[in-house]
Amino acid sequence: MATDTNTASAPILPPPRSEVGVLGWVRANLFDSRFSGALTLLSATFLLIGGWFGIRWVFLEANWGVIAEIGGLFVLGPYNNDQACPGNNCFWRPQVGLLLVSMLLGMTWVVAGGGSAKRIAILVAAVAAAFAFLPYGFDRMGMDVRLLLLANVPALALGWAMARFFPFFGAVKGVGIFAVAAFLLTLLLVRGWEDGGPGLMPDLLFSWIPGLEPVVDLKDWGGLMLNILLAVVGISLSLPIGIALALGRRSDLQVVKGICVVFIEVFRGVPLITLLFMSQVLVPLAFPRDFPLDPLPRAAIGITLFSSAYMAENIRGGLQALHPGQAEAARALGLPGWQTTLLISLPQAIRNVIPAIVGQFISLFKDTSLIYIVGMLDIVEESRAYIQGNPELLASAQELFIFLAVVFWVFCYGMSYVSRRYERYLGVGER
Amino acid sequence: MATSDPRSDTENIIVCRDVHKWYGQFHALRGITTSVNRGEVVVIFGPSGSGKSTFIRTINRLEEHQRGDIIVDGIELTNDIRNIDAIRRDVGMVFQSFNLFPHLSVMSNITLAPIKVRKVPAAEAEETALELLRRVGIEEQADKYPAQLSGGQQQRVAIARALAMQPNVMLFDEPTSALDPEMIKEVLDVMQGLAQSGMTMLVVSHEMGFAREVADRMMMFDEGLLVEEGPPDQIFYDPQSDRTKLFLSQIL
Repeated sequence: MATDTNTASAPILPPPRSEVGVLGWVRANLFDSRFSGALTLLSATFLLIGGWFGIRWVFLEANWGVIAEIGGLFVLGPYNNDQACPGNNCFWRPQVGLLLVSMLLGMTWVVAGGGSAKRIAILVAAVAAAFAFLPYGFDRMGMDVRLLLLANVPALALGWAMARFFPFFGAVKGVGIFAVAAFLLTLLLVRGWEDGGPGLMPDLLFSWIPGLEPVVDLKDWGGLMLNILLAVVGISLSLPIGIALALGRRSDLQVVKGICVVFIEVFRGVPLITLLFMSQVLVPLAFPRDFPLDPLPRAAIGITLFSSAYMAENIRGGLQALHPGQAEAARALGLPGWQTTLLISLPQAIRNVIPAIVGQFISLFKDTSLIYIVGMLDIVEESRAYIQGNPELLASAQELFIFLAVVFWVFCYGMSYVSRRYERYLGVGER
Repeated sequence: MATSDPRSDTENIIVCRDVHKWYGQFHALRGITTSVNRGEVVVIFGPSGSGKSTFIRTINRLEEHQRGDIIVDGIELTNDIRNIDAIRRDVGMVFQSFNLFPHLSVMSNITLAPIKVRKVPAAEAEETALELLRRVGIEEQADKYPAQLSGGQQQRVAIARALAMQPNVMLFDEPTSALDPEMIKEVLDVMQGLAQSGMTMLVVSHEMGFAREVADRMMMFDEGLLVEEGPPDQIFYDPQSDRTKLFLSQIL
């Protein structure tokens, strides 16, 4: 047998030393030309100067006392004050909501098989538990608050065990059902219940549960809790509505198509602030005079519809980018039109536009702050109102708003991180 | 069901009478009349834009014809959606660009339609799928995703996917045109095996070697007309039409 002389005479060599290692990296990325070397030195100078002053301000000059002083108001706003909740013992209700979230994270950990779901679950429960050790006096943060915060760790373990030992909670469907139930339960808890109280539901259902009185008026919901509730409602409703609008806009039925186009263009063409004002003035016109519709649900409807219009256009973009051969192949196999859409077109379209969809989620979360338009105190407005009511704190406005920026950034980065991991998971072995 | 229809016992599984198709002003099919026997392998060729792809795409209603009749396995193609779905279950199709579903594994690509349309139990559908993958020679790729396969492998999966619906007719729309030369043969071999098993096949292709060896009949399309049809020997050695002669002289 003849040997392959080409392969024998040209051995496979390792790359030269200058191409690999730290030195190779520095040369390739920072100093690969004179111009890039100069840019590297210039930006390094700016970074050092900026970093020096930044660190000095954060650690030496800034007065972070304002954060500690506002404290729990960041989280609940006026929710637990004397007027909204006489007796100030309503704090446990949203805390139970957080416990349900921890349980959900525990289930997700099992369903996702560890990975970043595990890391996020542990991080959330650990941060919640760490808040139990804040160095407040017991007059400001009672033992019960601390215990409920610590309970997030066993709640996580409980959720994990439920998913691990009951197959129902170990599947996507079960977790989904639990999530919806947990959310509705949280809404009920946060609002509270009392016989003969306001509302459309009959009495007697929940009145035996202790501590559900008094009902906290919707206008007193506030703080980060309000931002999160609005975001969850907006996100979980605007995605399905957006999908329906996107499909409607591509429909062959001219009436359906027309309605969707008008809806999308109207809600996209109006600023959200205007929409929120209008929701207070116009939405009541659509309901009977005595219909008990508070500013909060009205604003939630406005935010959801606004976001749906953008969502619809994102998803339509994904649908249009699909190769027409995909739907053709499905139809040629005898799949009816609705199954072709549901099983072939939509999954691919949504997967392709995940970055745009998550961008819309993030934007929606930040926009929940505009709820101040209808006179409610979300985390930003609560903070602003607080330092306005305490002029001696005005000097700390910088620290306060930097803190708020960090809070929003953490949530938005969290969404971005999860979506990137999810994309990578979906992208395994796919185009 | 198509098989219980008494007319399906007749020799002709596909009958076309004076089929016309327009794209806007463009007259793409200008009166096609022909029929295909059960078990026959027909290779359709002709210059690009001649209407050959359009013709086989009218047979499963991916393109709508505006005049004339098409009867497939005893069912007439009309606007009735039930007829269209019945014919699509009975007619498999393989595309030039494969059109596998990239978000589904090879296995799910093949079992999707049997499970959702024919209501076959999942376990049974998977068994059939494995058998089909064995038949097209890529059993070991069942758990991969389409993008992890070579073009030739993808096209073989596409053939298995179409066969999973147990069709009586298979349509091939230029199945090897998008493939690298060394992969064309593996796909043609599968098609040849299929032809020998007695499948009725309509193949749009310029693989003249394949046509000569496998086809029972060839059809030459030009400018929306069926210019000439006949057994390969006649087409290659004694073409009747000048256009067939000219076209063959250009490609052979």
